[in-house]
Amino acid sequence: MGNLSINLKPNFMGLLKCLNSINWFIVFFSLINLSMCIYEDQIGKFDWRQSYVGRIKFAQFDTVSTARKIIVATEENVLAALNLKTGQVVWRHVFESTSSGNIQLLHLSDQIITVTGSNPYLVRGWDLSTGVLIWEWGLTLQKNEHTDFSEWWVQNGLLVHMVPKFGSHIEVSVYNVATGHNRGATSKLPAVWINEGCVLSPPYYTCISGSPGNQLLLSMDVTSDAVQIISKPLAEYTTARNANLNPFDTNTVIPGFLLNEKIILIRGNKFEAINIAVSEPSASVALVDSASGPLVLQTWNDEAKGFTLTAHNLVSGQRVNEIGWSDRSLSIPEPELSAVICTKTAREQHVCRILVTAADDASHLIQQEGRVLWTREEALANVVAVEFVDLPVSDLDAAIESEFDQKEAAKMHSSVLAAFTRRLQSQFQQLQGAVRTLLAGDAAAADEPPPLVRDYFNLHKIMVLLTDAGKIFGMDNLSGEILWKLYEPNLNTEAAVMFTRRSARHPPHDAYLTIVGKHEETGNGLIVSLNPIRGTPVGEQTLHLDVQILQCAVLYKADAQKLHALILLDKDENVQILPESSAPLVENMYMHVADRSSAVVRGYALRHDGERVSAKNIWSVDLSGGGSQRVVWSVSKPAAERIHSAGRVLPDRSVLYKHLNPNLVLLLTEGPDPVHKDVVVATCVDGVSGGVLSAHVHRRARRPALPLHSEHFLAYLYYNDKQRRHEIATLELYEGPERWVPAGAAFSSLRGARAPHVQRHAYIVPAAPAAAALSATERSLTDKHVLLALSTGAIVELPWALLEPRRALSPAGEAREEGLVPYAPELPLPAEAVVNYNATLLRLTRIHTAPSGLESTSLVLATGLDLFYTRIAPSKTFDLLKDDFDYYLISVVLAALVLATYSTKYFAARKMLKMAWK
Amino acid sequence: MQQFTLFFVVHLTALFASTACIDYDGFLNMKLEHSLNCNDEKFCHRGSITLKSIRTGVPIIDQILFNEKHLEALKKLANEDEFYSIKTTITTGENSKGTEYLSSVKAQAFLENGLSDVINAWILPNGAVIAVNFQVANSTQPLKQATNEYKLNSKFYLRYIEQAPVPDTASYIQKMERDREAREKGEMKDNRSFLAKYWMYIVPVAIFVMISGATNPEASAPAGR
Repeated sequence: MGNLSINLKPNFMGLLKCLNSINWFIVFFSLINLSMCIYEDQIGKFDWRQSYVGRIKFAQFDTVSTARKIIVATEENVLAALNLKTGQVVWRHVFESTSSGNIQLLHLSDQIITVTGSNPYLVRGWDLSTGVLIWEWGLTLQKNEHTDFSEWWVQNGLLVHMVPKFGSHIEVSVYNVATGHNRGATSKLPAVWINEGCVLSPPYYTCISGSPGNQLLLSMDVTSDAVQIISKPLAEYTTARNANLNPFDTNTVIPGFLLNEKIILIRGNKFEAINIAVSEPSASVALVDSASGPLVLQTWNDEAKGFTLTAHNLVSGQRVNEIGWSDRSLSIPEPELSAVICTKTAREQHVCRILVTAADDASHLIQQEGRVLWTREEALANVVAVEFVDLPVSDLDAAIESEFDQKEAAKMHSSVLAAFTRRLQSQFQQLQGAVRTLLAGDAAAADEPPPLVRDYFNLHKIMVLLTDAGKIFGMDNLSGEILWKLYEPNLNTEAAVMFTRRSARHPPHDAYLTIVGKHEETGNGLIVSLNPIRGTPVGEQTLHLDVQILQCAVLYKADAQKLHALILLDKDENVQILPESSAPLVENMYMHVADRSSAVVRGYALRHDGERVSAKNIWSVDLSGGGSQRVVWSVSKPAAERIHSAGRVLPDRSVLYKHLNPNLVLLLTEGPDPVHKDVVVATCVDGVSGGVLSAHVHRRARRPALPLHSEHFLAYLYYNDKQRRHEIATLELYEGPERWVPAGAAFSSLRGARAPHVQRHAYIVPAAPAAAALSATERSLTDKHVLLALSTGAIVELPWALLEPRRALSPAGEAREEGLVPYAPELPLPAEAVVNYNATLLRLTRIHTAPSGLESTSLVLATGLDLFYTRIAPSKTFDLLKDDFDYYLISVVLAALVLATYSTKYFAARKMLKMAWK
Repeated sequence: MQQFTLFFVVHLTALFASTACIDYDGFLNMKLEHSLNCNDEKFCHRGSITLKSIRTGVPIIDQILFNEKHLEALKKLANEDEFYSIKTTITTGENSKGTEYLSSVKAQAFLENGLSDVINAWILPNGAVIAVNFQVANSTQPLKQATNEYKLNSKFYLRYIEQAPVPDTASYIQKMERDREAREKGEMKDNRSFLAKYWMYIVPVAIFVMISGATNPEASAPAGR
C-alpha cells in the first residue's frame, strides 16, 4: 500500500498539470452545450400562444360536417374554422394582407367557396373539416374601372359576378363554381337607374331612383333571362324625406331589404312590406329560417336595458318570446348579427345560436337564454402598443417595506416603543401568513388563481395592450388570461403612445398608466388614464383636448405623489402639463418633433418661468435633402435604460469608451434620388442640441425599417434594391481610449463640440424580417440579443456579437483575443436560435421586451395576428438553478458533511484525551 | 482574373468615395443671423460664409464685430441661462430660395469661450445641406478685444455625408479562396504520421485511462487483504 502511494504521487501531480493544460478543452466542451433552444418537455412552460383571426366579416355555421364549426372570413384576410363549443381555431388560412387577399365572398355548401382579391380574383374551394384547398381558379377582368362595387354570390351551384356601372348598366357573369367555365358569357342589363345607394339581396338588385318627391323604388332580378323590373313609387312605403336602403346583416330566407326602419321583402316579383317594426335605427336585423317558419331577429344596445335581442315570426308578425332578452351586464357596443342558426328541440322550443360581432371587434356566440358560450377578443389581432406593468407587492411585504423605509419610519415612529410594537405586529402578521399557507396546503393553492401580487423574481406582470379598435386590455403575462378590458370608442390609436407614470412600487398610491392618442373624429388629443392593475380610470380619466398634439413626453422627475407629469406640446407650440401642479418641476427638459413629409426636425427647450411652462424652438434641421426625402423612423433610446459598463476592455488592457449620449436620436429618411434611384439616409442627431453626430447614405436602397437603439449601438434594416435583398446596417459610437467627461459626471449635450468615432458595417439578412427588438434586462449586465421576427413566422434570437460593426474580416492577434467573431457578410439564422420553436406566428408586426426581476431573464411578447409570450435568457440563466437540479442529492451531501464534521470533532477530542493520558 | 479586376474596382470606388463622395459641385452661400441686439426684429445680421466650390470646401467667413451692446445682451442671456440662437439661410445654385436652419448654444458657454464657435454644415452627396450646427469650442479663452469691439472666432467645417458600407461579400469570398489555397498547400506539406500530428490529444486520454486503471487496483487491494 505504501509502495503504491509513493508511485502514485508523481502521477497525481502529473495529472494536475495535465488538467491545467486541458483547461481549454473543458471550456470548449462546455461551449458545445451552449444551445439556446428549449427541451421538448419545456414547451408551454414559459411561453404561450394565442391565435386570432381578426374582425369577423362573414360567418356561417357549418351544419354539414359532424364536428360543429363556424366558418369565418375576416377583415384581416383570414379564413378560419372556429369550434362551436369553445371558440378555438380549428384551422386557419391567412391570405395576403394587401388587397389581393381581400375576401369578397364566403359561401358554404358541402365545401367552402371563397372569392379573394380584387381583379384578378381567385376562386377557391376548401374542404369543410380539414380546411384543405381542393380546387382553385383565377379570373381577370379586362376592364378594371367599376370592380370596386362588384358583388359575388352563389346561386344554384353557379357563381354569379355582378358589376354595376352606375347610371348605365349592370354586367352579370355566371361561372361554374368548381371549374370557372363561363356558362353564358357576360350579359349586359341596361339599367340607367342604378346608383351608389343600391343594395343587393341575391338575386335582386334594388335602388331608389328619380327626382326628390317623385322617387321610385326599383328592383331587378339580375340572373333571370328575361329582364323584369319591379317598380313602385317610394311614397307607398315611406314618407321620410331621405330614404335609405340597407341590406340585412344575415339573410338565408327570402330576398329583402330595409327601407329606413321598414322591412320589405321581394316575393313573386312584388314588394311586400312587413309590419314588424325595426325598434332602433342602429339595430342589426337578420332574417333566418327556423322550424316554425322564418324569423326576424333584431339586436341593438338599448340605453336603458343594455344589450337587447328580439325575434318575430315573419309570417304572423308575432313576437317569439322564448328568443329575446336583454342583459345589462353584457357590454356589446353596436352589435351586429354575423350568423344565426335556429333549430327546434323535442319540446317544440326554438333553440338559436347567435354569433354577434361588436364595434370593439369582439365576437360573442350567444345561446338562447342570453348565455354567452364564448367570446373572442379579435381586437387583439391588431395590437398597436404594449406596456409591461409591475404588480404591487403584497400587503405583508408592503408593511415590511414601509417599516424599513427611513423617511417613513422617521415620520411615523419617532419613539423606540412605537417602532418596537410595529416590529412585533409585522412579525405576528408574517407568522399568521406562514401558518395559513401551511394549513391550506398545496391542494387549495392549485385551485385558486395566483393573487395579483409581485412574485419574488418579478416575473409576474400585467401587460397592457392597446389595440387598433380602441380597446385596451390588461393581460396576465404568465397565463395570457385577460384580466380587464376597457373599450374607448373615440380613441384613434394611430401613433398612440403609452406611459407608465407611476409604478405600483409606491404602496399608498395606485399604479398610473396614460395613453395619449387622437380623437376619432376631431383628431385632437385624447388622453386616457387608468390603473393598469385593475383597469379602472384614475386621475384625468378620459380627457379630450381641444387641440392637436404635436409631441408628448413624461417628466423625468416625479412629484410628491410619485407621479410623473405628462408634458404635451400642441400644434401651436404651447405646453400643457398634466397635472398642472407639476409645472415647477420642469427643468432641463427638451423635446423634438419630426415632420414626416417635410422632413424638418425641430427641437424645443422647455422652461418654467415661474408661472407657466413655455417651449422655445432652439434648433431645426432639414433632412429633406433638396425636398425629396421624408422621415420614416425616429427612434431615441428606451427611457430609463441602465448601462452597466462605460467601455470595452481591449486585449492590451486599455479601455475603449462608449459614447453613451442619452439624447441621441436616430432618424431614418428615404426618398428618390436623380442618380441613385432611391436613397436611404440615416442621421444620428442629438435631441437636445440638434447637433448631427453622424450621417450616412445608402444608395439604391429602400424601406428603412425596424430600427434598434440601445446603449452605444444602433441597427436598422433596409432593402437593397441593387442586390434585391434585406440588409442590416449596424453602428457603434465610441469616444476613444479616453473619457470625455470624468467618471460619474453628468453628460451634457450642450457643452463641447467633439464628434464620436463611429464604427459601422452592414450584413445580409437571408430572410424577410417583419419585426425586431432588443432584449432588455434590469441592470443590462446580461448580453444584448436581437430578436428578429421573420415573415416565415419564426422569431430568431441573435447575439449582438454577430451584428457588431467591429468584426474584422480576418482578425489579427489582438482582436482574436478580444473574442470578436471574424466577419462574414451573411448573418447566420440557425434553427436552434428560433425562440418560438415550431409555433409559427403569422403576420408578426411587433416584438416587445421588458426586464424581469431576474437579471438573466427578459420577457418577450410578440404581437401580430397571433400573440406569443415567452422569456429569454441571453446569457443563459446564470442566476437560476436548472429545472432538474437535484435538491435531494445536495441536501443529503450537506447533511452527511455536517454529520461527518461533528463526528470527526468528537473522535478527535477522544483521541486527544487518550493521547493526553498516555 | 475576373475576381482580381473586381477587387480593383471595389478598391478604386472606395478610393473615389473617400475623396469625392459628392455628386454635385457648386457654390454655397450661408447667411448667418442671430437673436442678439436686434431692436425690434427677431433675428438680425451676424455675417455670412461663402464657398465657391462645395467639393473643395474652402470657406470665406465674414462676420460682424461684437460691440458692448452685443456683449451686454449676451451677458443678460447668460444670466438667465438662456440660449443664443443663430439662424442660417443657405442658398445654392439649385436652391435659390434658401432653406433655413436654426441652431443654439448656451449664452454662458459662448461667453466663456471668448465668442468662439465651431460651425458644422452637413452636406448630402446631392449637394443639399441637412444641418448647420453651432457648437462652442471646448476651451476657455479670454475675449479678444480690438478697440472696443470683440472679434468672433468661428471655425467652419463642411462635413460630407459618406456612403454607408455595404456587406463586404467580395473580400469575404477572396478570403475564403485564400484560406482554401492555404489549406490545400498545408495538406500537401503535412505528411506526418497520425500519432505525430495528434499526440497532444492522445496523451491526455492515455493518462486518464492510466490513472483510472491505477486507482481501481488500489480500491480492490484492501478488499483482497
